[in-house]
Amino acid sequence: MSTFTMSKGRKRQLLLRKGNAIPPGGGRIDTIAQLHHLLQKAVELEHSTIPPYLSALYSIPEGTNPEAAKIIKSVVMEEMLHMVLAANVLNSIRDPQLNLPGPAIDNPNFIPTYPAALPVIDADFQVNLMKFCQDSVEMFVKIERPRAPMGTPRNCQCISSYHTIGQFYEAIEEALVRLSKKGNLFKGDARNQVPDTQYYGGGGKIYAVGCLESALAALREIVGQGEGVHHTVLDGDDKIGEPAEVAHFYRFQEILYGRHYQATDRADSPPSGTPFQVSWDAAYPIKPNPKLADYPVGTELHQMALQANQTYSRLLHELHNALNGRPELLMQSVKIMYDLKYQAIELMKTPLPDGSGNAGFGFEYVAKS
Amino acid sequence: MSDTIYDVVVVGAGVAGAILAKTLTRAGKTVLLLEAGHGTSTLSLDGAAAQKEYEGYLQTYYRAAAKVPNAPYPNRPAAPSPDVLDITAIRGVTPATNGYFVQAGPMPFASDYARTPGGTTLHWLGTTLRMLPNDFRMKTKYGVAMDWPIGYEDLRPYYEMAEHEIGVSATVEELVFPGTSPEEFFGDYQFPMTGLPQSYMDRQMAKATEDAKVVVGDGNGGEAEVRLRVTPTPQGRNSTPNPRYRRKELVWDRNRKRLVWNGLCDDERYQPVGATWDPYTGERCEGNASCVPICPVQAKYNALKTLRGAAVGKLTLEHRAVVFRVEVLPCKDAQGDQPVTGIHYKQYRSPEGDAYEVKVARGRRYVLAAHAIENAKILLASGIANSSDQVGRNLMDHVTLLTWGLRRGDGKEVFPFRGPGSTSNYPVFRDAGFRKDHSCFILPIDNWGWGWPTGSPGADLEEFLGQNLYGPRLLKELKDRLTRQVFLHAECEQLPEPTNRVTIDDNYRDKLGNHRPVIHYDISNYLRKAFVAAKSISDQLFEHAGVEDCSRYSPADACYFTYGGQGFWYRGAGHLVGTHRMGSRPEDSVVNPEQRTWDHRNLFLVGCGNMVTLGTSNPTLTMSALAFWAAENILKDLHNQP
Repeated sequence: MSTFTMSKGRKRQLLLRKGNAIPPGGGRIDTIAQLHHLLQKAVELEHSTIPPYLSALYSIPEGTNPEAAKIIKSVVMEEMLHMVLAANVLNSIRDPQLNLPGPAIDNPNFIPTYPAALPVIDADFQVNLMKFCQDSVEMFVKIERPRAPMGTPRNCQCISSYHTIGQFYEAIEEALVRLSKKGNLFKGDARNQVPDTQYYGGGGKIYAVGCLESALAALREIVGQGEGVHHTVLDGDDKIGEPAEVAHFYRFQEILYGRHYQATDRADSPPSGTPFQVSWDAAYPIKPNPKLADYPVGTELHQMALQANQTYSRLLHELHNALNGRPELLMQSVKIMYDLKYQAIELMKTPLPDGSGNAGFGFEYVAKS
Repeated sequence: MSDTIYDVVVVGAGVAGAILAKTLTRAGKTVLLLEAGHGTSTLSLDGAAAQKEYEGYLQTYYRAAAKVPNAPYPNRPAAPSPDVLDITAIRGVTPATNGYFVQAGPMPFASDYARTPGGTTLHWLGTTLRMLPNDFRMKTKYGVAMDWPIGYEDLRPYYEMAEHEIGVSATVEELVFPGTSPEEFFGDYQFPMTGLPQSYMDRQMAKATEDAKVVVGDGNGGEAEVRLRVTPTPQGRNSTPNPRYRRKELVWDRNRKRLVWNGLCDDERYQPVGATWDPYTGERCEGNASCVPICPVQAKYNALKTLRGAAVGKLTLEHRAVVFRVEVLPCKDAQGDQPVTGIHYKQYRSPEGDAYEVKVARGRRYVLAAHAIENAKILLASGIANSSDQVGRNLMDHVTLLTWGLRRGDGKEVFPFRGPGSTSNYPVFRDAGFRKDHSCFILPIDNWGWGWPTGSPGADLEEFLGQNLYGPRLLKELKDRLTRQVFLHAECEQLPEPTNRVTIDDNYRDKLGNHRPVIHYDISNYLRKAFVAAKSISDQLFEHAGVEDCSRYSPADACYFTYGGQGFWYRGAGHLVGTHRMGSRPEDSVVNPEQRTWDHRNLFLVGCGNMVTLGTSNPTLTMSALAFWAAENILKDLHNQP
């Protein structure tokens, strides 16, 4: 059941736009099974940005870089929201007769091996797990880069690869609109939907998806928060009494400029709001892309890293169950997220024996023992 | 001296002052808010500065040896706060003067408060129980104390405003009260957020004691059998927004001359208010058990959140501004009244109070919201508003009996220190016939082990180290002790007594030369009898739950007393109430039901000082309801006579 409402004009506008031949970055999605496959990729894509953002966030010692930490935290919480939104859309199109699985999260293939390319995005950069530094924030800006202006020629005809995250979702939107015209597309079990009562944190909201309008709203939320809406820096969410919230791409730019945007700033000019301090030196010097295998078996570091990976794997297990029919587990998994935070920070505070920097947390999957 | 004349001058930036400032500025009025404490960055829109200041409090708390309520917050000589660590026994007629309070006795007053922006809501527990209907009519119903000039039904809409502002989490259908039905108490009302989960310990205790029978006095010399119930406690900390709650914000309707609600749109939900520096921190309670003295993520309400909601441009905030005198017209005017003409305050340059400047604030209306004891002190020092001789009298607190024990048996651990400080209570003793004979009490279940009575877990570690335990044996003993600690506390209602009072004495002044409160205080037989009854209930309850009672009350304690051969010590609950009570007659009360002083038509008092009796509810919610009530009355008054 959806409580979502959309004005008729807005709906028509969306449907018209999608109905037109705006070329998605990748190829055309023809079947529900293909759409289902891409929505699984969407869940993976949203998740794949969380480890790099958390690495930078947790490397900031408490009490330093408060504005930068706040910005990264707000983005990473919204990525978690996006992951759940993508899962809701996926679950909404699971026609029981087609026997399509729910979001697959609890397995090693779900996690990229960093350094890694973003899933389904043919980007010219690799994503690394790094400390908070200019390089990592520049990488974040690339991840959240807005889609190319309309009319940019496609250079890829397959459905597995897109230029930007925005183009990827544009293709999914287009397919949702087109496939839903052939009959009811949204035959998934409503009990698999995560409702907004089971989610909090970050701007934006959860849409339980049961129809085209709510599916499009969910995707708009994802893309709007990432890139901005209507060629502004704003992300479309607002909160009474809070300063205007800008999209992820622009939020990361704020860190690089050391200055906030104002609601009236143009998307193509630098921010002109209140300045803030960024101390690039205030971060634990973690070695990029840390691995459990970096630490000899039997050492305390190995034990700590193993425990953190086990916690992370337990979290994925809980999230998998939450997104496969037990939404109440989502709230309960918050405790595991905190465990993970503290275990990751302990690792990042620990110097490596060879003096080359600090240990880190690699977000690796460990099978249940 | 500034020439500005504000619509309203408010003294005190705690919860009452913050509600006034927010409500009045949003209705378009200019407000000057004078705060004795130091630090404005917690109030500013500059998130980083607010975070830095609050994190400073947290660091102080982590380092403090004794984690008492005021441990995290600065205590400055220029505007000192009382501290429970200052309590000592009072010997004969010589007052104990080692803290901010001058304790004249015969018994010590055992509670504190915080003179800092945000006030005592920084360290409150967050329990938000409404008072029960009978609490407002003690004289009529039980022949003791005094009736309020208003009843529960009058206050009900204002309780709802307070619950919206504080952000109360509770599920109406789950709550249990004595002496009234949920329908009568709430109507079709819903709380802004759904109830927080009850702790594991609460559920274990409920399983072991729900419906068990205990014996208690009936108030007529006989005994009555009562069945135990456990109910979740409404709390001012963030939980899941309740989809059935449909209110968005409170606004002043100048045509109807009242505060009215704007509703939420169909797809909107109540938005929990997070930390003052980041709306996405503290959106939900995270179960840190340190609510008192400090919530690390501000999921628990504090008054700084309300202040941030004041209308920008309408609010002027002066900190380090300690009010010492309210100036009134020296002779009666044509209306036979002596209205207030200004408020005198000392603004200190350094928190040590070595240098200050005297200033005067002027407004069309004046509000003292400085705390029950500070309000009384200011009125007494100014020699005003006291034609009834009630200013400073009837000081009340919840006089609290602590009982603690160990739950024995395999698989019977209760695992304290998980979740907020307290999430459930035994409500059945809050209202009953025995109120004719002794205090009623609420019996919350506490989630912080023996932290309050003995200083656990540190005290347990010290004890075992003293027995030369170490290694696995030490761990085993600690595990066995700490997982089984059950702790209850009975908050007993103190009645208004004219001799329990705050006075001033020119011999006792602080660094700025302002008066220190002199407190005269005793524990009546009405309370002592309640301690005997509550201890008996606790014993019976512990027996039902398989808990071995470990409560010990040392005669060496400063707060030790005996009754009927039994000895106890008490603690204060921090619920300071009643020093300028409201009433229907100027002969026996300081303010009228509008919260306006009988003696000065443009002077309003707000805060717990206006409460006539205390009941068994933590008073912050009732005070907040009364603050909205006062705000509405002030807006009406300004509308009629700008």
